[in-house]
Amino acid sequence: MKSKRFIMESFIYLFIMIMVVFTLYPIIYTVLGSFKSNSELTLGSGFFPEQWRIENYKQAFIQADFTKYTINSILVSVCAMILATVTTSLAGFTFARRDFVGKKLLLSMYVSLMFVALGSVTLYPIYTLLSSMNLHKSPAGLVLALVGGQASNVMLVMGFVKGIPKELDEAAIIDGCSVYGVFFKIILPLIKPILAVVALFSFRSAWNDYITTLIMSISQPNLKTLTVAVVQLKYSANAAAEWNIMLAGASIAIIPILIVYFLCNKQFIGGLTAGAVKG
Amino acid sequence: MKNEIQKKKWVRENLRSYSLLLPNLLLFLVFSVYPVFWTLKYVFFRYGGFASGDPVFVGLDNLIRVFRDALYWKSVKNTFVYAGAKILFTIPLAFLLALFLSRKKKGNAFFQSVIFVPTIMSSAVMGLVFYLLFNVYNGQINQYLLGTGIISQPINWLGKDHAMKTLVITAVWGGVGNYMVYFIAGLQQISEDALESARIDGANRLQTMWYITIPMLGPILKIILMLSITAAFSDMNTVMVLTEGGPTNATMVMALYGYQFFFPVSVGSVVSFQYGYGAAVSTVNAIIAGMVTILYLKLSKKLDEVY
Repeated sequence: MKSKRFIMESFIYLFIMIMVVFTLYPIIYTVLGSFKSNSELTLGSGFFPEQWRIENYKQAFIQADFTKYTINSILVSVCAMILATVTTSLAGFTFARRDFVGKKLLLSMYVSLMFVALGSVTLYPIYTLLSSMNLHKSPAGLVLALVGGQASNVMLVMGFVKGIPKELDEAAIIDGCSVYGVFFKIILPLIKPILAVVALFSFRSAWNDYITTLIMSISQPNLKTLTVAVVQLKYSANAAAEWNIMLAGASIAIIPILIVYFLCNKQFIGGLTAGAVKG
Repeated sequence: MKNEIQKKKWVRENLRSYSLLLPNLLLFLVFSVYPVFWTLKYVFFRYGGFASGDPVFVGLDNLIRVFRDALYWKSVKNTFVYAGAKILFTIPLAFLLALFLSRKKKGNAFFQSVIFVPTIMSSAVMGLVFYLLFNVYNGQINQYLLGTGIISQPINWLGKDHAMKTLVITAVWGGVGNYMVYFIAGLQQISEDALESARIDGANRLQTMWYITIPMLGPILKIILMLSITAAFSDMNTVMVLTEGGPTNATMVMALYGYQFFFPVSVGSVVSFQYGYGAAVSTVNAIIAGMVTILYLKLSKKLDEVY
């Protein structure tokens, strides 16, 4: 009986190990490959680089202009994160706690549009609208396009606020707080956990975004972020000779988000289920 | 007089509510509502952008063309194949991982975080990495397979016969961790008491899993499957970077098919701007995805009655 159990445990362990290797392999390939020479990559070589070539990064940052794209990525992602968090927290609070004209209609619009999956086509009217407002040339336009309507995040915050006892608001109002006071003094400190989730996820999606940024940067190459710039190396004239630069670029794009993840992986994993399973 | 005061208060309260709502409401109207109406309008127009003159009303022509467009229906078929294969592999793998890694054991929390990592990475950047890995002559996968003697000829992973498989492998890689976390959340909701009493009644671990865990996971499994269906139908990033829908449309999915009438798929590719037709394709896409979801919900309700 004991040995049967041991065999089963070994199979489970083997399965987990296979999945861990499958998961990590492309990432390790990227990071180690970013230190290899191009011929090591294309002709095959050992697991580790023969020589750790920091030059790849130097080349990526200087020749391929990755310094600029890194700054763009940070700027755009941080702004998108702030805008998303501020606007969704205010709206989620309002929907959860306030009565106002048109609330039912607006709520049903928010919910139903979460299910309309028209896809990236909607980026065309967004792009033309932004350019008619002359915003398509500035990072501000890109941030706005990346943040978008935020319907599902608003619903997420709303659900969280509803879980807070209403008596707290009422007590504050009796004590002479205005609506704004209730929001900033009572609600805001209590919804920090869900705001951390919204912040983290909007930072991630802005940092990782490909299609929106690609479209916004077609006519404005100086708006490119790391993600777009890395992928476009695939189409550069001597792409076949620059695998090491591609992997250095890919590492520059993924390492910051990996660091963020390892600093707050509890929020990432917890936030995912807060959004999906309860929502 | 009193009425007047009440009215003033009512106006003031409404204004306060809207002042809080406004920042998000503006974003919502501009970036979520307006594009939907724009798309629905242009379904009925022929329009090629500023250069080709004003939009022309064409009635149902665009929609009729969608139904006659063989290439479009091929992309629909590809989407079903892709979504089906992705879900078929992702869900069981995610379930098993959740089952094993939710046990309170040393290291399991760490393994959970590791398996989740692909979820936080850009699918476009990783699409590029997989493109290099699966390269016919220079990719590391073929180098290993040839080196160990498993194959004697390099496999053309991104060629016509294998591109879809490669795409599915990439999608499974990116999706397992995500759904594992959903399953873990579901497993945590199963009460210890039920498991305990089954054990006391003499059920072994396999029986407990089959008769207690899986049935009790039912409601959350339904949500997970629905999320995986909607996600798989809108996946596009990886396709765009890894295969660009090719070769010869072997991996063209319906989301990308609509996209290409608006924007270039890759740097330097030529676009035939057909905004009206693209809008029609996207609308039909949304309807198909919606129908699949509804069908699935109906089907899962039926299953509830059986059990």
